[in-house]
Amino acid sequence: MAKFIGRRLLYLLPVLLAVTLLTFLIASLLPGDLAITLLGDQATPEKVEALRAQMGLDLPIWQRYLLWLWDVLHGDLGRSFRTGETVLAAVADRLPVSLELMVMAEVTALLIAIPLAILCAVKSGSATDRFLTGLAFGKLSLPPFMVAILLIYLFAVSLNLLPATGWIPFAEDPIANLRSFVLPALTLAIAEWPVLMRVLRSDMIATLQEDYIAMAKAKGLRPARILLVHALKPSSLTLVTVTGINIGRLIGGALIVEVIFALPGIGRLLVGAIYARDFIILQGAVLFVAVGFVMVNFVVDMLYAVLDPRIRHGRA
Amino acid sequence: MAVREVAALDVGVDTSAVTPVRRQRRLGGLFVASVIWIALVGLGAIFAGLLPIPSPTEMDMLGKRALPSAEHWLGNDVLGRDVFSRLIYGGRISLTVGLLAPVIGVTVGGALGMLAGYFRGRFETIVTGGVDVLLAFPPLVFALAVTAYLGQSILNITLVIGILGIPAFTRVARAVTLSLSEREFVTAARALGATHSRILLRELLPNVALPLVAFFLLGVAVTIVVEGALSFLGLGVPPPAPSWGSMIGEGRESLDIAPWLAFLPAIFMFLTVLAFNVIGDTLRALTDPRPGAL
Amino acid sequence: MKTMFRAIALAASAAVLAGAPALAQKKGGTLTVGLELDIPGFDPLKVGVYDTSQNIAAALLLETLVKLDENGKAAPGLAASWSHSDDFKTWTFKLRPDVKFHDGTPFNAAAVKWNFDRQKDPKNNCRCAFYIAGTLAVEAPDDLTVVYKLKDPAVNFPVLLSRPDQNSTIHSPSAIQAKGDDYNRNLVGTGPFVLKSWTAGDRMVVERNPTYWDKDKISLDRVVLRPLPDSQSRFASLKSGETDLLWADEFEADNIERARKDPALQVLTYAGSGAAVSLFNTKVEPFDDVRVRQALVMALDRKKMSMAITNGLSRPASNPYGDGSWVKCKDDGALPEDPKKAAALIKEYGKPVKFKMLFTATPRGRANGQVLQQLWKNVGAEMEIEQVDQATIPARAFQRKFDVTPWRIVDFPDPDVQMFANFYSKSPLNLASFTNADLDKALEAARMTADEAKRTEAYCEASRLINQNATWFFTFQNTYYAMAKAKVKGVPKLYGGVIDVSHAWLE
Repeated sequence: MAKFIGRRLLYLLPVLLAVTLLTFLIASLLPGDLAITLLGDQATPEKVEALRAQMGLDLPIWQRYLLWLWDVLHGDLGRSFRTGETVLAAVADRLPVSLELMVMAEVTALLIAIPLAILCAVKSGSATDRFLTGLAFGKLSLPPFMVAILLIYLFAVSLNLLPATGWIPFAEDPIANLRSFVLPALTLAIAEWPVLMRVLRSDMIATLQEDYIAMAKAKGLRPARILLVHALKPSSLTLVTVTGINIGRLIGGALIVEVIFALPGIGRLLVGAIYARDFIILQGAVLFVAVGFVMVNFVVDMLYAVLDPRIRHGRA
Repeated sequence: MAVREVAALDVGVDTSAVTPVRRQRRLGGLFVASVIWIALVGLGAIFAGLLPIPSPTEMDMLGKRALPSAEHWLGNDVLGRDVFSRLIYGGRISLTVGLLAPVIGVTVGGALGMLAGYFRGRFETIVTGGVDVLLAFPPLVFALAVTAYLGQSILNITLVIGILGIPAFTRVARAVTLSLSEREFVTAARALGATHSRILLRELLPNVALPLVAFFLLGVAVTIVVEGALSFLGLGVPPPAPSWGSMIGEGRESLDIAPWLAFLPAIFMFLTVLAFNVIGDTLRALTDPRPGAL
Repeated sequence: MKTMFRAIALAASAAVLAGAPALAQKKGGTLTVGLELDIPGFDPLKVGVYDTSQNIAAALLLETLVKLDENGKAAPGLAASWSHSDDFKTWTFKLRPDVKFHDGTPFNAAAVKWNFDRQKDPKNNCRCAFYIAGTLAVEAPDDLTVVYKLKDPAVNFPVLLSRPDQNSTIHSPSAIQAKGDDYNRNLVGTGPFVLKSWTAGDRMVVERNPTYWDKDKISLDRVVLRPLPDSQSRFASLKSGETDLLWADEFEADNIERARKDPALQVLTYAGSGAAVSLFNTKVEPFDDVRVRQALVMALDRKKMSMAITNGLSRPASNPYGDGSWVKCKDDGALPEDPKKAAALIKEYGKPVKFKMLFTATPRGRANGQVLQQLWKNVGAEMEIEQVDQATIPARAFQRKFDVTPWRIVDFPDPDVQMFANFYSKSPLNLASFTNADLDKALEAARMTADEAKRTEAYCEASRLINQNATWFFTFQNTYYAMAKAKVKGVPKLYGGVIDVSHAWLE
């Protein structure tokens, strides 16, 4: 096990380094001179030159990268030139919103997916199974921004049941906070569940063909017990992986949903930074999201290995 | 958004290795319907200029959100333009970007994946590492940044979505090549002293091509969605060109007065994406490289 | 030195400002305001120029030397009175005594001078410095006297200090020095409300200042400002009661019409001066030819544009002043709407007319762009829409990197500043790069006298010259909107689009 972790760690380091390099390159190569942006109409050539020198923008790019990396390793991701906020503070402000959205979305998706997957697996090949797999497949073609509009139309415009917007802090009013998350979380959950269901369903069908299930049946165990205790756990390996990947993705990937429902999360921070050309925030937030994704994947890998000993020795 | 679609595709492919065959050959009717739908949208897109429909950009400024009439079959949009015509011309953008962008992914990603899967070793480590790095970035943020900074044009959008698709294609090509490299016909060719390039081009490529084409069609579906998302956010194809995504975005402004303005393009987009998914999935099932799948 | 302490006569001004007698006001309550944009901060050095969202917040937290009364005339703010020299180039303000910043430090002449000097200091590279280029220096001869030394005469200078913007609001010098980079989001002013908390992207909470110098006029306990970028969501929040008052503009025509029909809601509107305008870069082809410019202006059917974009709410404009200004022209020299003549002029020009125009990457920018594109296509000109973000437009305009760009002549109490900046040949803001001796003469004449009739005639002459040369064109007059619950009272006129809720109350 230790050897396996060591091997993964050895792989993790260069990946993380490459992530920082790519982040830096993207932010640096986008057109738009930071000095000109900062100076606005005051941007005379001399002033631009002076400010560039002052900010170290005249150094060769590899030197700037190393300086930036040095700061990043010391926990300094810089400050927005527009708001004076540090990147860490900006991310920390918005992270709870994105995390809450992600957890609610993922839990809802699992609540939909697991029972349906079990149903399909048990009645594999039946009309119900065909209908549900077909539905899941069709859903893959319905992108979240359409789902969001549909939900807003149904629940906010027509029925006037739920707010279409307006995040309320949990500390201020827990009920209102949860209400404001219902539609966005549902939007994401509707996008998630088909994948989760497909994955669990096929693993479950495989498990149900194993000998020990037949044994359990022969022993006369109750079907519900067989399904939930003996079949579900060994079938949920891929589900764990996919859920893990989704969690990593959603940290910065719920962008459109956050924009449509006006949730002050990481996704909206990124969009705002793009529009305002706030390179420092963009660079810092992208780095945060990318590193977060790599780390979550690493943890999922580890988890996977713990759950399934074959991985440790096999083809990972 | 895009992220998740791509991730979904990845997962679909990765898990196929552990999934027993379950694909039923009952998609026939759906498959035919999908082909017909895409043919219709495609023909409409190609021959839009010859159809007896009003111009998609001509405004009747006094007829905003007009209801359907003999002249305007599906009514007018919020700026008084013919909705039906914009739906037809919108297919042009979706199909152009949707078909061109994955070409970048399939050529670059396909080549990288095959080489990695065939040569293994350090090269494979670098390629898979590179793919992991690329996948760590939120693609929609990348696409938004590129169109916001480099300007909105069909070319930029196609390029950026195409590049974002490379990792997924690399993974598929590598996985398929890996499983094929162990097969008899490759070992046989190797034993007979064939060169690497001969094995890659003559033996492997024809067999990798089919699964890649299937995945390409799924890539088309994803691309149409991503283009739609960009246009929905106003950073897609520059106006006045109609795009389904921007029509949904514009229609959203009058969701309570004229909901059909958002829902009609949404239905067109959904059906098109669904059709590509159905065709792609059917082909994937048919070309699954796992022994016994055929 | 001729003194003119007219302001003293207008002593009890705050109640007048609130637009209603103080008796009816109910104390207490929280008002939640929905804004369009997230506020980046308030330090002029950091943010450069305040937008409307910042102005609205600044009206609560910060104060200016001068305020506007309900007739749009100067009224005392932090300054109790003022006087000017004969040449209108030196203005002396007497400050209100016993005013303190929220951090307890005293507000005085030194603080005013410190704020000005900090913005003016070339080392600070403040984008805000441009807007105070006309003021040479600010002096503080004693604790309660501030003297403004101007480069050019300004007959109506006090009103120019009334807008709660980056230049006129007075911040606490000690707080700026103590907080450094963090000051931007932790501002300290003298205003009737104190910043309580601020969650970026979500809400800013301000609470009543218990030591405000005029605290009896303040009714609300708390104001919450929330950025809600999407107009549909914003309107939904008003209907559901999450917000009490919204910033709005005519692009939300559907919502404004609905709010007008809803007895639980009210629409506040103010027909300001100024206009939404666009201007040609006369140094580039094809706009170096007056025929092309005239043709494009004649192609505009403003009524139809208004119908298409704002259900007819937008009021067509043909000069830079508008109905809200005291400048009224019998003849502003507007070119007639005449697509046939326009097409003929384009034909006469001979070469193809192809160009790009800048628009904001927003739904309203796209709508505007597509409508103009259509009108110009009708007369044979081909315009390509170039969408950029809001901040890019001034940057591109200042660098003269544009063919046609949208602009705005803001609702200002006096036209002088903007007219001189935009149209005077040697002005650095002469973005159209158009020089005309007669136009310069008219603009100079308008600022040399305090006689309104003479100034009006000079400004109308300027308008005729601009219209005939078609260097700029005026599309719609500035109309400002706010939508609110019917119970919200005491919001004064929306001068310059600023919704000042500091003196509002809930019925």
